[in-house]
Amino acid sequence: QIYSSDISSTIWGHLDFRLPPLYAAFVNGVAVHSMDFDDTWHPATHPSGAVLPAVIALAEAFPREKKISGLDLLLAFNVGIEVQGRLLRFSSEARNIPKRFHPPTVVGTMGSAAACAKLLALDQPKCKNALAIAASYAGAPLANAATQTKPLHVGNAAKHGLEAACLASQGLQGNKQILDMESGIGAFYTDYNPQTLPTLQSYPWLLDQQDVAIKRFPAHLGTHWVADAASSVRRKLVESSGNSLPLDKIEKVVLKVPEVKYVNRPSPASEHEARHSFQFVACSALLDGSMSVQSFTSENIHRLALRELLCKTQLEHPPDNTPSFESLYCEVSVMLRDGNTVSDRCDTFYGHWRKPLKKEDLEKKFQSNASSILPAEAAEGIIETVYNLEKVEDCSVLTKFLSGQSVRALSEKLH
Amino acid sequence: PEETVTSSFASFIHAVQPEHLSKTVRHRSKRMILDSIGVGLVGSTTHVFDIALQYCRLYSSVAVSSVYGKPGIKLSPTLAAFTNGVATHSMDFDDTWHPATHPSGAVLPALLAASQMLPPGTKPNGMDFLLAFNVGLEVQGRLMHFSTEAHNIPKRFHPPSVVGTMGSAAATAKLLSLSTAQCAHALGIAASLAGAPMANAATQAKPLHIGNATRLGFEAALLAARGMEANPLILDDIAGCSGFSAFYSIYQPKPLSTPSDHHEFLLEKQDIAFKRFPAHLGMHWVVDAALSVRNLFINYAGSFSPSLIRTIVLKIPVSKYINRPFPSSEHQARHSFQFNACTALLDGEVGLSSFTESSIHRQELRELLDKVVVEHPEDNVANFDKMYGEVALLLHSGDVLTGKCDTFYGHWRKPLSKESLLKKFRSNASHVLPEEKIETIITMVDNLENLSDSSQL
Repeated sequence: QIYSSDISSTIWGHLDFRLPPLYAAFVNGVAVHSMDFDDTWHPATHPSGAVLPAVIALAEAFPREKKISGLDLLLAFNVGIEVQGRLLRFSSEARNIPKRFHPPTVVGTMGSAAACAKLLALDQPKCKNALAIAASYAGAPLANAATQTKPLHVGNAAKHGLEAACLASQGLQGNKQILDMESGIGAFYTDYNPQTLPTLQSYPWLLDQQDVAIKRFPAHLGTHWVADAASSVRRKLVESSGNSLPLDKIEKVVLKVPEVKYVNRPSPASEHEARHSFQFVACSALLDGSMSVQSFTSENIHRLALRELLCKTQLEHPPDNTPSFESLYCEVSVMLRDGNTVSDRCDTFYGHWRKPLKKEDLEKKFQSNASSILPAEAAEGIIETVYNLEKVEDCSVLTKFLSGQSVRALSEKLH
Repeated sequence: PEETVTSSFASFIHAVQPEHLSKTVRHRSKRMILDSIGVGLVGSTTHVFDIALQYCRLYSSVAVSSVYGKPGIKLSPTLAAFTNGVATHSMDFDDTWHPATHPSGAVLPALLAASQMLPPGTKPNGMDFLLAFNVGLEVQGRLMHFSTEAHNIPKRFHPPSVVGTMGSAAATAKLLSLSTAQCAHALGIAASLAGAPMANAATQAKPLHIGNATRLGFEAALLAARGMEANPLILDDIAGCSGFSAFYSIYQPKPLSTPSDHHEFLLEKQDIAFKRFPAHLGMHWVVDAALSVRNLFINYAGSFSPSLIRTIVLKIPVSKYINRPFPSSEHQARHSFQFNACTALLDGEVGLSSFTESSIHRQELRELLDKVVVEHPEDNVANFDKMYGEVALLLHSGDVLTGKCDTFYGHWRKPLSKESLLKKFRSNASHVLPEEKIETIITMVDNLENLSDSSQL
């Protein structure tokens, strides 16, 4: 019954209407993963999308007198990330790119539940129940990756984690050993070895040791290696043939990539498929020099030059190219009709945790994304608020910007 | 007490404070937040976002669907389905099939809610309703036949959360008259909403499995109706990228033949078991066995005298989640061979009141439980079609009395008579409904094919 009441939360980018927190979390989570543009971690999952929409929506659901500070939000967010990372380390299967269950639906749901439990300040037994209840919502098969349904995985992770925390808060109980048992969260893995967390004294946060990768264009992480290698090959080709790309001289394009079935698509027909195609990204980057949000429009997916290049493209899977975001590489070789070959290899793309985006580039990505939806002051407001999150007394300032309110008075509140 | 993994997580979540955050962590996580917001904002221009949003706007505030037992209350359709599904499984009193699942609770609530959602003039009649319901059952049964694992009592995923969600999607898609393509997508979307681990059985969270199965399957159908697309090969076995096969280690899917005059629904060949008391199906064998040996004992000793009993031996199949020597909650009690056997011995029957707090914790019962020893004969397979229950009383005098049950009354091999089924219904319904309403429902369901507007139900 709570969800048919008047409590409502912001839909990012929309001033005109709101939704109950559960649905706001869902919808914003879907938005975050809709283009496969969100962050990726190691072991593999999309950590932020499962947690941030839930905690933001929840923060708005508290009664007006109760203020949630920026620090509360930051802490809850980090709890949600940390729990995901810890759970991923309980199975060796998790180290490689998944094959059976889509990780955000397994650990993301748990992370969302943990983060919301923290924000709700639940006692220890209720935190336990939140995790237990969340487990019963976890787990979606990988087959819906590269389809329109995939974004729902993150939306549902956020929504269901929030729901689990709310149910726990109302007294619902689950299995107290949900993380210990093989028939608990272990059900999603073939090998499962859970470990207790370290004590809070000088707590070793996983995000400290292992950063996330931030994408530069909206497609599966594996394609980022391909894009960097292909762009570099294009530069070489263009230099050596008088500043233009010698398309008709290209005989064959060979991509050396790890074996990842759901990103191997020789001829993608939709944007969802294109975002999950080594071949598509390689050819796109060869044609245009770089990848962007625009690379995935319908016209660009179906353009003739691209289709022709795709026909010439094939994949190879060298045995040393392991399907793990920590160790994979990509080599792009373009064979020309005159017998010459131009190649390049990418071991670490720009945006990977080994080569993180610089502050300016992160902001540039944000501005580029936000500018089509939010007025400039709101976008600026968000950047400032997030950078100073620990000092923000009332995080409703963040959600007001998120809804597109560009009140000058709000920016002044920050200082 | 030794700290469990789960407990350490809960402690962490509860006790961690801002000062525990390091500088690097703060820095990195703020970058993540910034990026994530930007990505979400641009994502709000996509088609998939539009579908998701439309769906939520439409259904977040339209409270048209009824809730079992609450005449004044209405909820939005999917939430009503959820609530009613939870109610259905709340006491583990709902039906069980073979291969094992609880088929009806996953389908009926969604159909009831959906029928109230449709505008007047397009309301499905009783026959449509009955058909949709059977579609939901059939899909569940067929899916279970894809894996030999499904024939035995489950260990990893709770079947209603796996096949039930799919059944609900199928049934609702049927009721809403979705196109073939949309039905496929409904199943595809539903697969991404399926699957809850067994560990929450015997806890308060178990009823959520049915509640969510029926609600999420319903949502999947609604999303498909609005144009959402999923993997069209979700039920097929594609190496390297799991679809529905993710929930099984052995998976051999088979196509369903197109319906013709000769299509035989599984329900035709394989009936359902109805429970006579609210506990896990496995309990029903030991209870009937216990009642039979109790009679022998009373004949032998004149009355039921526990002090004469040295040991109670239960011969049951191996199944961890229903082997509980000393259950401490009603949920655990419903999933305990030992508890149900002893209650039957003590009281001569098992019913709703057997699971109250006072009944669970009474002294005489605890004393009996102390005497129980469990054995797992090799021929006692953990399978609802093949298992048996045997209760042996080893008396201090040296005598042994035994009761065995191969097929309990209510099992598909020995189905409840019409009178028994009605008795169960009346007994249950009388807790919340007046007599005339109860009788009306009985009549309506009996004549379902002739009902012109199923939302009356």
